[in-house]
Amino acid sequence: MYGYLAGLKLEARLIHAHPDSLIPLVTAPLFTIIFLAIVRESGRYDLQPDALMAPVLMSLWWVALQHGGNIITGDRWQNLLESIVAVPTSLASLLLGRVTTVMCLGLVSFFEVWAIGELLFGVSPAFEHPLELVLILVCTAFASAGASVAFAALFVMTRNAYTFTNSAGFPLYLLSGVFVPVAVLPGWIHPVSSVIFMSWSADLLRASMKSAAIDDFWLRLGVVVLLGAVSFLIGRLVLFYVLRRMRTTGELATA
Amino acid sequence: MEAVEVEEVTRVFEPRRRGSTRVVALDSVSLTIPTGEIHGLLGPNGAGKTTLVKILSTVLLPTSGRARVLGHDVVGETQAVRPLIGIVFGGERGLYWRLTGRQNLEYWGALYKLPSRVSKARAQQLLERVGLADKADDRVEEYSRGMKQRLHLARGLMGDGKVLFLDEPTTGMDPLAAREFRTLIGELLGEGRTILLATHDMVEAETVCDRVTLIDRGKIIATESPRTLGHLISRFQRIDVDGVSEAVLEEIRAMGGVASVTAVDGAGTRIEVDEEGVTQLVLERLVGAGVSSVRTSLPSLEEVYVQLIGERGMEI
Amino acid sequence: MSAIATTLTIMRHAFRAGLSDYRSMYTWKSWLAGWFVRVLAQVSFFALIGERLGSDERTTFYLLVGNALAVAAVTGVFSLNATSAERWAGTLPLLVASPSSPVIVFGSRGSYLAVDGALSALSGLFVAGAIFGMELPWPRVLLVVPLTMLVAYSCYCFGTFLAGIVFRFRDINSFVVLTSYMTIMAVCGVNVPLTYYPEALEWISRFLPLTNGLLAIRGVFDGDAASAILGDAALEAAVAIGWMTAALLSFNRLASRGRRDGSLDYGA
Repeated sequence: MYGYLAGLKLEARLIHAHPDSLIPLVTAPLFTIIFLAIVRESGRYDLQPDALMAPVLMSLWWVALQHGGNIITGDRWQNLLESIVAVPTSLASLLLGRVTTVMCLGLVSFFEVWAIGELLFGVSPAFEHPLELVLILVCTAFASAGASVAFAALFVMTRNAYTFTNSAGFPLYLLSGVFVPVAVLPGWIHPVSSVIFMSWSADLLRASMKSAAIDDFWLRLGVVVLLGAVSFLIGRLVLFYVLRRMRTTGELATA
Repeated sequence: MEAVEVEEVTRVFEPRRRGSTRVVALDSVSLTIPTGEIHGLLGPNGAGKTTLVKILSTVLLPTSGRARVLGHDVVGETQAVRPLIGIVFGGERGLYWRLTGRQNLEYWGALYKLPSRVSKARAQQLLERVGLADKADDRVEEYSRGMKQRLHLARGLMGDGKVLFLDEPTTGMDPLAAREFRTLIGELLGEGRTILLATHDMVEAETVCDRVTLIDRGKIIATESPRTLGHLISRFQRIDVDGVSEAVLEEIRAMGGVASVTAVDGAGTRIEVDEEGVTQLVLERLVGAGVSSVRTSLPSLEEVYVQLIGERGMEI
Repeated sequence: MSAIATTLTIMRHAFRAGLSDYRSMYTWKSWLAGWFVRVLAQVSFFALIGERLGSDERTTFYLLVGNALAVAAVTGVFSLNATSAERWAGTLPLLVASPSSPVIVFGSRGSYLAVDGALSALSGLFVAGAIFGMELPWPRVLLVVPLTMLVAYSCYCFGTFLAGIVFRFRDINSFVVLTSYMTIMAVCGVNVPLTYYPEALEWISRFLPLTNGLLAIRGVFDGDAASAILGDAALEAAVAIGWMTAALLSFNRLASRGRRDGSLDYGA
């Protein structure tokens, strides 16, 4: 618990000290403007909810991948990893705490998107199923946290994580159907998308904005949570393995 | 129960890339440190000091052998060891440079599972102790080298560890700052802690420690009290002198306890002694001969080693 | 050497220095597997939105072409990082102390990115175009190549200017990169026609890179008159020159002010 709270607080302080962590707060509004302009110019006002939710999902992906994913690598570059390993608190709980703060940052984008839509275009998210919407957002943030932990652990192992994180954004947005539903994509993509929690979240979010009842809501929500938990477990395992290997080979210090 | 027990610890680093060699950083090292002692680990760069410190602080696994801190095995009982130790590294690394000194300390307090109130109070206390109270709320990136070092010390104490590992903590410090730092270390000991101080500075080892272990290339050469070390130092003094006649030099050469008298190109003559008390005799003779330009210096750590090893006939 | 010859030599060296930096980041394989995949994904992302809108394929291709060229904007603006890297490398004071003008180095340091931008945009355009079944009007479509290079260079000039702004501050690089290129994506006719926005905004966008060049490129696809295409291309060239001039003036001031107030630093 100490580790989790320590991580939570540390990340909040680091975000405060490093303004460029706030980048998703800049991109979300701009994407909102771009997407809303596209659908409105075409007269497809029915797609406005999609246009509003896509930036939120993209922000969550971005913080999970770029920000959260680089947490451990960042500590290693600053030669902190050795010291952190030697304390009574577990690195995994510390990481989870930090990632939680990062996810909260990602969720701020929802309010930004709402504000921009309202202020500039007079459009706001349709709260047809408000409770479900909140649950979907929370579970998606949870699953993103899990993915972030997995990324953080995996990136310590690889040397060129930077190139990957730079390039992985749009492919992931595409595969997750953050704007255009996966169902519309070519068939061969479907199996890949179905193991990405974000594709389920995207479908659920869009459904929550329509007046019709949401099919299989709890089942689909459960899939999001499950996939997130699996990511977390993978991350945990990789972390354990990586730390162990580092203690054996002595590579903790060298970046 | 001893504070630190090291039994035949060996640490080998296998080559990671083609072309790099296998390194034996520690070779069957054994050491015991009783509770309450300040123990120096003295050796040149690459001797294995940091490797040993890392093993004892559970950051690195030994290839073979066993080590215990306050009775707990550093490999199998890491959860028991970690709350009991504190680590202070030298150099620039290991702090969040965009956070303030205080924020860094409070974070470490949390990592040592201190309740928030206790963590805040202890951080304040330590900041005052190390003289950083008025800079506590400035970002670490604005600190000087010496200030960062003091913050490291404070950080190492946040967990209130019973055993402290200090790895070259005065690296890069100016002599005044280093001296103050050593005084601080002395005070810490008065609080019942055990300290292992890794250093390559002989004078530092001599002035601060109760006992000193000499280590080189992964092997322990000897464990001495500072007095013995001090004797070693004063034994192997050298005297550099200009403008002395050959006759006087011959006299000095013939003195007991003078190891060598050699001319140094363009820089006069170097006289090396290897017995205590001889320096004084040599100086008296030189002054008597009217020489006024004299310099004495201490040998480097390496040179003492060479002498010591040569003397004891040990094989490396 | 004559002034021009010296300048060209410096530019060539600076280009090579930048290129070697780049090579240390990407090999052919990682460029393809990493960067190009991203480019294709980004272009396809928007093209798919076009398909979703459903009206007709013109919209799809509109979005496809716009976003392919937007990649040149991304790369061009990104060049501000390369240029401002001079500061962190501590080389600025050394440059100022040298007999040559530092502005030439700054103007050329990130120029390899203009080439990269053009290459990325063109490959994204043609590959995505093939995937989405876009008909290419040969041989007219070859005009797109020099036009894309012009756009990429124009974006690079803009990026160089931004480097001068960013130079004075610490740590706002990422902010500036993202805000600039996303603004370009929003208002420069990438995703919606210029007429969609208020007239004032349309006016402003004409002074930004990409806007005019993109109109020229769309003109090629739509079969517009040569005079119209050339007119837009000329405007783009003017915009490029404008931003580069502003950049060089800004750097000159930076260097001379730095000498007066001591802000030229060897370290970071």
